[in-house]
Amino acid sequence: MKRRDFLIGSCFAPIILSFPAKAQEGRQTLSVVTSLPKELSSAYKAAFEKKNPNISVEIQQRGTQAAVTFLRETKSKSSTDIFWASAPDAFEVLKAEGLLEKFTPSETGVPAKIGEYPINDPEGYYAGFALSGAAIMWNLRYIRANRLPQVKSWDELALAPLFDHVAMAMPSRSGSTHLTLETMLQARGWKDGWTLIKSICGNMRLITERSYGVPDGVTSGQFGYGVVLDYQALASRGAGFPVEFVHPSDTTIVPSNIGVVKNGPNTAAARQFIEFMLSEDGQVLLFKPSVGRLPVRPASYKQAPAGTPNPFEIKWGATGGFKFNVELSEKRYAVVDALFDQTITFQLDALKSAVKTIHKVEAKLADRKNADAAALIAKARGAIAQMPFDEQQAASKEFTDAFHGSSNTGKGARQAELEQQWASFARDNYAKAQQLANKAEELAI
Amino acid sequence: MSLITKTDAVVRPAFAVRLGRIALGQYASAALIALFLIVFLVVPVLTVITAAFQAKGSGSFTLINFYDFALNDLLRRSLWNSLYVSCMAVLWATVLALPLAYITTRFEFKGALLIQTLGVIPLIMPPFAGAIAMQLLFGRNGSINLLLGDWFGINIPVMEGLSGVIFVQSVHYFPFILINLSTSLRNIDSAMEEAAQNLGAHGFRLFRRIVFPLAMPGYIAGSSLVFVKVFDDLATPLLLNVQDMLAPQAFLRITSIGISDPIGYVIAVMLIIFSVFALWLASFATRGKDYSTIQRGGGGLSKRQMTRVDALFAYGLIIFILAIVLAPHIGLLLLSLATIWSYSPLPDDYTFAHYLTIFDESPQLITNTLIYATLAGVIGVTLGTAISYLVARTKVLGAQWLDYIAMSALAVPGVVLGMGYLRTYYDVQLPWGGSLAAFWGMIAIALGVRRLPYALRACSAALQQVSVSLEEAAENIGATKTASIRRIVVPLMTGGIVAGFVTSFATAAVELSATMMLVQSTANAPLSYGLYVFIQSPAGRGPGAALGVIAVIIVGVCTYLSHAYLERRTALPARDDGH
Amino acid sequence: MTYVDAIRSKTTGISIRNINLSYGPLRVLKDVNLEIRSGEFFAFLGPSGCGKTTLLRAIAGFNTPQTGSVLIGGREVLSLPPWKRDIGMVFQSYALWPHMSVWKNVAFGLEERGQPKVEINQRVDDALGLVGLTHLGARRPSQLSGGQQQRVALARTIAVQPTVLLLDEPLSNLDASLRVQVRRDILAMQRRLGLTTIFVTHDQEEANTICDRIAVMKDGVVQQVGTPMELYDNPVNLFVGSFLGTANILNGSMRSNGREQIFELPCGSQFPVPAGHIDGAKLFFRPQSTRLAMVEDAARTGVVRLKGCVSHKEFLGAAVRYGIRTEGGEVFADIPHARGEAQVPDDHIVGIDIPLNRINYLPA
Repeated sequence: MKRRDFLIGSCFAPIILSFPAKAQEGRQTLSVVTSLPKELSSAYKAAFEKKNPNISVEIQQRGTQAAVTFLRETKSKSSTDIFWASAPDAFEVLKAEGLLEKFTPSETGVPAKIGEYPINDPEGYYAGFALSGAAIMWNLRYIRANRLPQVKSWDELALAPLFDHVAMAMPSRSGSTHLTLETMLQARGWKDGWTLIKSICGNMRLITERSYGVPDGVTSGQFGYGVVLDYQALASRGAGFPVEFVHPSDTTIVPSNIGVVKNGPNTAAARQFIEFMLSEDGQVLLFKPSVGRLPVRPASYKQAPAGTPNPFEIKWGATGGFKFNVELSEKRYAVVDALFDQTITFQLDALKSAVKTIHKVEAKLADRKNADAAALIAKARGAIAQMPFDEQQAASKEFTDAFHGSSNTGKGARQAELEQQWASFARDNYAKAQQLANKAEELAI
Repeated sequence: MSLITKTDAVVRPAFAVRLGRIALGQYASAALIALFLIVFLVVPVLTVITAAFQAKGSGSFTLINFYDFALNDLLRRSLWNSLYVSCMAVLWATVLALPLAYITTRFEFKGALLIQTLGVIPLIMPPFAGAIAMQLLFGRNGSINLLLGDWFGINIPVMEGLSGVIFVQSVHYFPFILINLSTSLRNIDSAMEEAAQNLGAHGFRLFRRIVFPLAMPGYIAGSSLVFVKVFDDLATPLLLNVQDMLAPQAFLRITSIGISDPIGYVIAVMLIIFSVFALWLASFATRGKDYSTIQRGGGGLSKRQMTRVDALFAYGLIIFILAIVLAPHIGLLLLSLATIWSYSPLPDDYTFAHYLTIFDESPQLITNTLIYATLAGVIGVTLGTAISYLVARTKVLGAQWLDYIAMSALAVPGVVLGMGYLRTYYDVQLPWGGSLAAFWGMIAIALGVRRLPYALRACSAALQQVSVSLEEAAENIGATKTASIRRIVVPLMTGGIVAGFVTSFATAAVELSATMMLVQSTANAPLSYGLYVFIQSPAGRGPGAALGVIAVIIVGVCTYLSHAYLERRTALPARDDGH
Repeated sequence: MTYVDAIRSKTTGISIRNINLSYGPLRVLKDVNLEIRSGEFFAFLGPSGCGKTTLLRAIAGFNTPQTGSVLIGGREVLSLPPWKRDIGMVFQSYALWPHMSVWKNVAFGLEERGQPKVEINQRVDDALGLVGLTHLGARRPSQLSGGQQQRVALARTIAVQPTVLLLDEPLSNLDASLRVQVRRDILAMQRRLGLTTIFVTHDQEEANTICDRIAVMKDGVVQQVGTPMELYDNPVNLFVGSFLGTANILNGSMRSNGREQIFELPCGSQFPVPAGHIDGAKLFFRPQSTRLAMVEDAARTGVVRLKGCVSHKEFLGAAVRYGIRTEGGEVFADIPHARGEAQVPDDHIVGIDIPLNRINYLPA
């Protein structure tokens, strides 16, 4: 007994001794909460501390959702100076709750928009410091072993051979995935956009909760293709894994953001940090292979390593020159998330089963034409593509109220009711599609 | 010649007064425990889940959210899936645990101690890294299936969907049954078995009719823990991308950034109610079964010998089971030493570089982990012993409620507890500056509260097997209540206490969800947090896995030491003629 | 056939031959040979560590001798596992299963043998009836007294009508007041059933009062086998002699003086040794074999006279035990107590008369 007590007691010594880790003779501390990977944050920490030896940067890593929760709960006396993440939606939420501090960087080399998408918050609560493009990533060994093609566009993800080999993250949990889908909806229209999304999702092996789960799975070879951000693929390739990626021509550019937390302990140092980030020296760090992001300063691309794409020189949108409507995106943000989850994520098995049968029949029809079967298949696809409401309603007040709550509860449907409606709608339609496809299969023998 | 000389100094107070003093002591302990639970469990959780009872937007009290839950297909399906998975996980965990427990406790078996230690290791599944390792080994394109595909052209979808969850959960949590069942089995008088053999029973019949019923308290303790833990676990289904179960649904909704969805909290409330109900059912099943053994001069607890053939079969079975349940850790080890491991049965090449990468940070992380886990274990067994004693041996009103409240901690997701602590205690300032919620001690308490259910169940089962008459004998000789508890009851409960400590320690050492909420500086971070930071990037898989391996080794060593200590204390010579 | 008849007709004798059992280097049983007759109530008697329980467990099948054989009714049982030997055993702790009722406990063996339900019901009732516990069938063991538990344990073994019954110290967990009654009950039942029974005990009074024959054991070796009276009157060595009752032992040596064997005490006193006695170095006689006499009176023929001084007395009820210091050592003399008879006071010099035919000469 005694020996054990001594052992336990001696363990306390180092922790107690390590207590005054913060205050180190006149050094200031800058507290950063981030969901960005270690490679990026430590690169900036090292560079910044070198330039400002009297400031020590303390990095706390948290998942985006956990970080937002943390900032919410500590708002009375925030211990954090900076919030730093890839997901623009998180910043919107924090801004709406008044947890960010307005500030304007003095750096002038950063344009306001990329394509139509703003790099910085127009109201000045957060700034973009890096750009990433949505990309499709694949595992070379996997596709070689399964004799699968390399793809170049979103549409190709819906092809029959890719069935059960693709993965993506839930847009409700991954801001970048959400923006990718929103771009598809805006570029192709509500109906066609959802049709494409559903056919792609029909090929999904799984839809992950963590956005990092997608590149991780492709890296491991768990599945063949993933909807990712380019830096994720770059990092994996840079670490030596057998992966490749491509930017589809109509891809989205997603900025990564940084903001100053309101009432933080060291706001002055926070501003300094952001200024550093946006400066020439800071932007160049993004080119490191382990970081793999793209700068927001067009001028920095002069120092880009060979083969780095320049997003400022690419025309965005399938039709070229398509304008991204930010307000629309924000208005229907929650609705799109919920719609996706209720009709796709949680019905994935039913959706996949119907799509699988459709693929099978279409393969048979390629050899031997059969008009009846073809007609049934067209109807089946149509059933899948059915949406419970149109674009107008998506951004309507009724829906927005249901999701964000208002003092008028009692009027109109509740969030749970709407979700239930949409889920049943999808379930019934997929069942119908399955029936039609089965019938077509019998005919197409 | 007089037989007994009493010391003159002590004048025994009147019987009623002594009784009053005992009762006062018991009520005081109960009150202290209740206070602890209220401050560190009930209040923080309540601050978070009141949203379940509030109408969205207006905040007024309503039960309509529960109504919505009942109407929702997805949620009903999730409820059913959760129940199904939990039951199946208990089944398979039993299949894994039973042979190990029975063979190592009832027979003379070389290496029993080692096996009992190894059998605990699956509990220590480092977050993320463990799941990656499992996918790399058992996934559809993992080592086993790649080889099976090459050789036989078949694929075993053991990690797909609900089956995958059942598989991983059984392997992860079967130690609960192993530990608790072993404790029970150890306490069965071998004369019970011999009497049955004498009357014609042997083999499976012997086990089914005599041994297993007598080990029921331990089995029910372990399996109810598995059921509840699997029912409430959100990490595993999410990592396997199964979202249509209750716990992941709750997590997804509670942690969604943009919308505040009351259904998430409704599910949290239901998880708590269900878990408490399941545990109440379990305690009801073991009520009134007085299986205490009165030790008669150390006569009856020796182990049986096995024949050669039996021993061979037993070794084979044990090795097979251990191979399955330790596979994730083997995978973890490989991952920590791998350069590139992608779509192939084994890594391309091996290296120690990852261990060098973590070399600088690990001492601090290790120290922190040891402190947190030890404190969590100590909190767990102290409260566990106290509560189980109050419930089983005293007539304190409401003692049973302490049990229920403590057990409900199982159902509270770590993220909810973390949120609750922040919400409740962030504004409380400590005398030496800094917020209470940021104090490292809160992490230890959060871990302890979350692990308390394990320790409590283990202590309860152990206490059930200590006869009341042993305490009474001590008091009859002149020991006070406190002394008899300290010198008789607690030492006899050692098996259960060690079991409870080991499970609390092992699981606290790799806990992440509450830790992530509460850690506010890397100086206070444990290994699991360090792992999490690494695992967010491809180059960090190796170092993350290396940290995971270190965590497993540390816990393994501590477990082994605890078991060795226990074996030494309760070791009896093999049965020979004592008279 | 009645229940009792069934048992009586089935029971057999036991042959134990050349049993050796060791635990590692420790030899626990050494060349044990015993023949137990059918229907006999046989005791293994000895102190702690003598091997009696080990021998019992070897017969039951719970340990394995390295050499030897055990034949029950002519059938070799050592190669059989315990559940095939058809032997009934009552454990010292009774080992009643707490999760089963009394009835279920008793029915257990019958269920294991796959008997039909009707048969089981009948036999359980019979067995419980035999031990007088019919009304307690529904109770749990924890609700019974020690004596009742023991009877349930007995009923449980008898229910399966074993060929042989083994009892491992059945009385040691009972109150002293119960023991006498319970041992009589056990004897009565054994007579009634005629069941071959082995009874292990360390208490010579138990063995003496109820057993037909006793095997006395020490350090794994059978010292002597015989009826209680034989062992008591004619022990083969000091151990057996003193184990079975209080004894007087005097040192000396045997030698010949030409005409006959004489036994000489160190102090010089000599007595003739009747023909046929073995060469022994210890003089052995029971306290109740003695008479006290006045020193002045001459010794009669065929009697050995010792002289001594009364040091103390114990009143045993039936007799007064005098402790007398003699030239050969301390001697106990049990003199029957008659009402009113005067006792010899302490420090009195008396003569102790021991008939020659009541003296044994035992090896050292």
